[in-house]
Amino acid sequence: MMTRRQQLLAFLPLGVLPLVGHEDFRVVGVVTKVTAKTVDVKKKDGKVVAIEWNKQTIFTRDKTVVPSSALKVGLTVVVDATGDSEDELLAENIRIVPAVK
Amino acid sequence: MTAQDPELPSARKLLTTTLVALVVALVLLVAFVLPAEYGIDPLHTGATLGLKALSAPVPKAEPPPAGATMYKPVIEGPVSQYAAAYKTDVVELKLGPYEYLEYKYRLEKDANMVFSWAASGDVSHDFHGEPDVKGMGEQSYDKKPRREGFGAFRAPFAGIHGWFWENPGGETITIRLHSSGFYESATEFRSDRTRRAHELKSVKD
Repeated sequence: MMTRRQQLLAFLPLGVLPLVGHEDFRVVGVVTKVTAKTVDVKKKDGKVVAIEWNKQTIFTRDKTVVPSSALKVGLTVVVDATGDSEDELLAENIRIVPAVK
Repeated sequence: MTAQDPELPSARKLLTTTLVALVVALVLLVAFVLPAEYGIDPLHTGATLGLKALSAPVPKAEPPPAGATMYKPVIEGPVSQYAAAYKTDVVELKLGPYEYLEYKYRLEKDANMVFSWAASGDVSHDFHGEPDVKGMGEQSYDKKPRREGFGAFRAPFAGIHGWFWENPGGETITIRLHSSGFYESATEFRSDRTRRAHELKSVKD
């Protein structure tokens, strides 16, 4: 069941979401592992970044909010996260996108 | 003495010739040399012939107005006066799939800049500024969808001013930016939180 925040966001185009600033991290890559609290993403340079997620994390695909169960190994994702370094990130948004060629 | 010796001028003739030469020299002195060299023009020939300009004192160069620095202007009517030449910047930026970056210049309040940028594909963009003063929020100047931008900018506050560009798709995009202005520095902020300072060139280089 979607939270109220997710229901509200389902009706918003992604362009309305605040643009990230240079204080956030963005990780783009392929999902290699998913757990109840983390997702491992392999970047184009081969580095795997483990990112935490929680109930406040918003999952989207094609500009639509989807449940966290949509996150699967092998999918390409764009993760916007906060944290002091790439080793301790908390995802705010996880966007499932077409695979990068 | 032979019959073919040349006839020498008489003393009277010599005196006459010398007097005529003296009068001509005096006229030249008073009519042309004094006005041109010393600004003395009793016959007004210097003014008539434009010779007095040659003896006019060279105007003294004015210093920049008080308060003007190389980054902060003093505004005098339509002109913003600075104490030094402006800088220029030419940069090519690559945006990988779904990446974003920010490119910003440090400008004092009222400092000026002109810019021209173009992207090789569709980008999300936000031309905005962050003030030095903590607590004052960011101000967005232009968020309309664009693939290029050309403009003149005057900083409404001291801070860093520039662009957020985001690649919404899976192909790499190239952005070319040209600018000139009275800015102190240029910094590139990447989505992995790295920062890179860019070297700026003065037009005097």
